[in-house]
Amino acid sequence: MKQLRDKYAIVGTGKSRLGKVDGVTALGLIEEAVKAALDDAGLKNTDVDGLLIRGPDDIYCLHQLLGARLGVNAAFSSTLDNGGASQIMAVALAAMAIEAGLATTVVCAYGRDTWSRTNRGPNNERRDKREEPNMIPPSQRPVEHGPEFGFFGPVALHGLGARRHMFEYGTTREDFAAIAIAFREHARRNPEATMREPLDLATYMSARMIVDPFGLYDCSLVSDAAGAVVVTSAERARDLKAKPVLIKGFATFNNTKGWFLDDNMVTTAAAECSERAYKFAGVGPADIDCAQIYDCFTYMVLTQLEDYGFCKKGEGGAFVRSGALGLEGVLPTNTSGGQLSEAHVEGMLQIVEGARQLQGIYGPERQVKDAEIALVSGHGGNTICHSTLILGRA
Amino acid sequence: MSNYKKPVPIPSVESKPYWTGLKEGRLLIPKCGECGNFWFPPSLHCPHCNAANFSWEPSSGRGKVFSYVVFHRVYHPAFSEEVPYVVALIELEEGPRLISNLVEIKPDDVQCEMPVSVVFEKIANNMTLPKFRPAPLY
Repeated sequence: MKQLRDKYAIVGTGKSRLGKVDGVTALGLIEEAVKAALDDAGLKNTDVDGLLIRGPDDIYCLHQLLGARLGVNAAFSSTLDNGGASQIMAVALAAMAIEAGLATTVVCAYGRDTWSRTNRGPNNERRDKREEPNMIPPSQRPVEHGPEFGFFGPVALHGLGARRHMFEYGTTREDFAAIAIAFREHARRNPEATMREPLDLATYMSARMIVDPFGLYDCSLVSDAAGAVVVTSAERARDLKAKPVLIKGFATFNNTKGWFLDDNMVTTAAAECSERAYKFAGVGPADIDCAQIYDCFTYMVLTQLEDYGFCKKGEGGAFVRSGALGLEGVLPTNTSGGQLSEAHVEGMLQIVEGARQLQGIYGPERQVKDAEIALVSGHGGNTICHSTLILGRA
Repeated sequence: MSNYKKPVPIPSVESKPYWTGLKEGRLLIPKCGECGNFWFPPSLHCPHCNAANFSWEPSSGRGKVFSYVVFHRVYHPAFSEEVPYVVALIELEEGPRLISNLVEIKPDDVQCEMPVSVVFEKIANNMTLPKFRPAPLY
């Protein structure tokens, strides 16, 4: 694997409008983000020969629909199906496809219209009352061993892990709060972020509980949003418009035996995945200047920080309360506000943010000083799938 | 029971014997005929050794709370009167873990690792759910 280290690059990044975007579909948002990424790279649609896409699970062959809108016959294309771990997997597959000679310029994108969907009826009429956001098609939701007990949704699924971690290591809701507050502070410096009101411990603690141990601020946002990046060879990247960001390494690992099996709820697939990614990139946790950690729920950040070796297992609470995640901390994390405060796009915007931090495009209020290596994590498939991307300044 | 509004499980081809066992007041789980391990949820091959040879064996019904959550939000209208209610991941003595509810205990009193034992709750003529209540140490 390490022969691929620094051989491929992200050469353009883009975002759609984020948050509550009226009158647009997931596909439309992806179009917006892809256009922005291509413009950023100084590339045209006709330069693209690879499409690795993900969106709502109920859109069949999404990549084909996007190809039609982009006017691209793709040499290599697919819709990915590994939840929030898909987006980094797309970047990894892009590099591998280019290495194999299957494509030269690959667009990786993800978009969703979760906010709009929960507010619109079947005929696009606005609902009086929001529906429960659920991007899994009804026909594929569990019909036994769960719903009969009132067990629904990802909040509870991840909450079981949070509770077990609290039991084993004395982790508290104050620890979770430190994560939500740190990311909110970053979002306040990001004009595109959805949630920019100040957040303090009292507000966190007094918010309504969703599924205990998770309250409102432990849960990521329900967003309309999309993100995209363009991947090509580092050699070709030199001639393009944007400052390239090198792909130093990547890995995937999936605890496909199950979230409820073994110790998987407290030591996640990130543990095995990170070892592989560090080896690929030739770096370790001490080399990481900024991290973009998949934050579907506060607890998932805490446990991943441990699994990535930024602190020991069980010490995540103390680590996050030390101020480590702030812009001036030892590990500036989710510097755009993440999915808890910027927008939830299943990790795609975190790849964008990791790349932009290394390009050094921000003003001092939100730029990680001298950032050379960024780590991005992807977590999904509802808890068991993981991917890691390590990026380097060119 | 005719006004039972909560979701009623739809047995799969693989889980049918499990639900039939519950109807008869037994918690049957698959046990591998080769390696002797139990597993859950039901499937056609042992996830420990991939053997196809297995039998449905009664669990002791004893176990512990591996973890739990308390639902405050109503995700399904039939649970609107029940919030806050506990959903627990139960670890059976035989090893497998399964999702269920705890009964006869207040949410605030639930703890990880507390011992529990199965109770059978008939919700329809042909459907019984396994729930768990606090049990003395054994």
